[in-house]
Amino acid sequence: MLVEIRPAARLRGKNAVDLTAALAPVFGALTTETDDAGPVTDLSRLRVVADWVQYRNNFRTPVELRPVVGGGPPELALDLRGISGTGADAVTSGAAAALRAHHSGGAGSRHLTLEEWGPTRDSAIWAFNSLYWQHLQLWEEATGQGYESALPGGQSDARHLEPVRATIGKLFAIWDSLADRRALPEELYVVELGVGNGNQAGTWLDTFVEMDRAHGREYYRRLHYLMCDYSPHVLELARATVCDHTEHVSSFVLDAQRPLTSLAFLRFKVFFVYISNVYDNLPTDEIATIGQREHLVEARAYLPDTDATAIAAGLGIEPETLGALVQKLLRLGPPLLAEAYPQHFADVPAAVQFWRECWQALKLQERYVPLHGLDTYEIAPGISGELLRPLLATGGDVRMHVSNGAATSFAETLPLLHPYGRLQCHDIVVTDPHQYRSGFRGPGKYDGSVVNWVNGPLLAHIGARKGFDVSFAPFRRNGSNIITMTADVRD
Amino acid sequence: MGVVTAGVTEVPAATPERPAAVGGGTPGTGRLLLPTTVIGSWSVPDWLERAKTGVHHGSVSRSQLADMHDMAVKAALKDQEVAGIDIVSDGELRRDNDIDYLLARVPGVEVRDAVKAFYFDYLDLELPRPLPEPGPGVLGLVPDLEFTLAHTDRPVRFSMTGPFSLSQRLRCGAYPDRADLVRALARVLNAEARALAGAGAQLLQIDEPLLAGHPEDVGLAVEAVNIVTEDVPVTWALHVCYGNRYARPLWEGHYDFLFPAVLDAAVDQLLLEFARKGDEDLQLIERHGWERTLGVGVLDVKTADVEPVDVIEKRIERALQVVPADRIVVTPDCGLRHVPAGAARAKLHAMTTAAAAVRDRIPKENT
Repeated sequence: MLVEIRPAARLRGKNAVDLTAALAPVFGALTTETDDAGPVTDLSRLRVVADWVQYRNNFRTPVELRPVVGGGPPELALDLRGISGTGADAVTSGAAAALRAHHSGGAGSRHLTLEEWGPTRDSAIWAFNSLYWQHLQLWEEATGQGYESALPGGQSDARHLEPVRATIGKLFAIWDSLADRRALPEELYVVELGVGNGNQAGTWLDTFVEMDRAHGREYYRRLHYLMCDYSPHVLELARATVCDHTEHVSSFVLDAQRPLTSLAFLRFKVFFVYISNVYDNLPTDEIATIGQREHLVEARAYLPDTDATAIAAGLGIEPETLGALVQKLLRLGPPLLAEAYPQHFADVPAAVQFWRECWQALKLQERYVPLHGLDTYEIAPGISGELLRPLLATGGDVRMHVSNGAATSFAETLPLLHPYGRLQCHDIVVTDPHQYRSGFRGPGKYDGSVVNWVNGPLLAHIGARKGFDVSFAPFRRNGSNIITMTADVRD
Repeated sequence: MGVVTAGVTEVPAATPERPAAVGGGTPGTGRLLLPTTVIGSWSVPDWLERAKTGVHHGSVSRSQLADMHDMAVKAALKDQEVAGIDIVSDGELRRDNDIDYLLARVPGVEVRDAVKAFYFDYLDLELPRPLPEPGPGVLGLVPDLEFTLAHTDRPVRFSMTGPFSLSQRLRCGAYPDRADLVRALARVLNAEARALAGAGAQLLQIDEPLLAGHPEDVGLAVEAVNIVTEDVPVTWALHVCYGNRYARPLWEGHYDFLFPAVLDAAVDQLLLEFARKGDEDLQLIERHGWERTLGVGVLDVKTADVEPVDVIEKRIERALQVVPADRIVVTPDCGLRHVPAGAARAKLHAMTTAAAAVRDRIPKENT
């Protein structure tokens, strides 16, 4: 049996995980598991993988069994945090149930499955994620909290002044140099993808005006700041925040994964692209090497039996009809759902409550599907899975995010940059493939959205192939997980 | 001072003192108006990129890669012939990029780390001591030219990255004045050009892909070009673009920095890009009186979108408003390295179709 304990940093120190206590009930279930014909699970081939899922709300149960399609030995996945909060008997019975479910091929499971197996990036969890951004205002009204309060530290990391001043200073230096060589365009474009409540834009523009006055070249007169966001509501809030700069700000509702659909006219024209807390919120697959062979992690969303029963009872419907109602929610959104099903939802807040209950209960089952060559897998349009090879070949098996949405967005944003342009991103980023072997990197639930750490080395590879050097640095706030990722034109 | 044969026209060779006044012609194309050609590089297939990178990581041997290069060059020549290109190139497929293949071979240049993560990356190159006087053909390009000439019946354009751009990728403490480094590299290229001419080259091209980012140095670049071309009896072309590394421009200005300095360049053809940037700069040609051959870039090589034939025709016709047909060569904006092969073939086919259509109309319009 292969046992992999990933959160190595949690095995020592004051709050160390009691590994023996956590694993004992699991191994108890494994070693006593038999049926009439004797032991069922071949322990010599079993892989046990333990994570510490740091997100209080997530898609995992403490004990899960993940099959490998094609008959490879399964993986018993443990969440040490979840196990530590569960009684030993419950863990034992959970492990035994997972093994039984695996050997029966899932027969007998009473969970409410919401979709067929598929790549994680196509899972319904992303439809929930989209719903959150489309109807953020309703969510905030229901929770009584602005989404920014859910961010680490309770505010966007983009509001710190020092890096803003540094960025603007560098822009001025470049523009001075180009102006001296009569190569400065008349219009100077800055793009922000994912504008939050506009505080970043407001801080940036206010600082720009102040520094421009001191600099004396009147660059503000030529500045165009483009705020782009998926959510019209967010854009509306942001516009109000930057009302002092109305003549220099334009706003675009756009999908961060397809910036060129709206911004193609700015190809090679943008001097600075700023992206904050966007990439961690875009769809992603995971790729795993098991026995040095590449596998795609497939997932399917489900509502646990007890939750599905409770939600259905609250609506006065049969549990088996709940799945269809969830699909309607994802397609219509709460306002139209309430309108279409007044017998279930007295008003929009009732539909929002339904949405929140489903989201709270939502879980993911996972399985591994062998890939027949990395080049059969596409990371993003035109970007072959072959680009993952050097990351996967870093010694031993590994499971990592592909960050497909971030990769797509990044690859489509780089062409916007002027020959002297720069892209800067603040996000939770894995900066070394080995970090995937020592910690859980998502997915988790962040308020009503999905969060995954971004595969930084992969973005660096993509950047290099497109002519950019990508560097990583810790953000300047103490205790922050946030990384500053910068892409500069290379050579 | 030599006299070169340019098709059926005898063309006086260009010299620093007296740049070729007329024609410059295109060897082997006879009196063909609006001949079509490529700038140099050809689409690099994914399998070749992997093999080139694999050499650095030990998964492919150098002899295996050499075989692949031979096959790829033959295929590139065939692709160009099928597309109807009049003057073809070897696609520069043996070269990792526009710098390393030449610069790393310059005697005295040292490679700091010969292993690359990706073949297209630039090597870290250093020149610790002044360059020795170059011997003939020290860069070893003659076998490449001979291979190309042996596998096509069409006229061949053979390119070398120019001394100014080469100098930009070299760490150098050997010359207190960097201009002396540029001149020294130019002498190496001149020796190479003599060897290439001796091996049958008729049309040699100097590429200056990094010049656009240094407009203040155009005088030095032209001086160095003239060292390269000195006493080499071939038709000489100079290509200056706005950069194409990773299919990105390195400069978003205009060609006005080239003029009037480039008028002193001892070259017969000046190949510029006009498709992506538009044809505003054509006025510079007229205003500054460039009276030699102009290569008119009519294909945007930074997109895989294939231009409609009628769009390309209009681009050629706009060039005809400032330069007569017997002084125009029709080209892509730059090399096609970053364009997928299918799109590259389609683009070239569209270009040759457009050139033929415009060519057909010229006699009618003249009569």
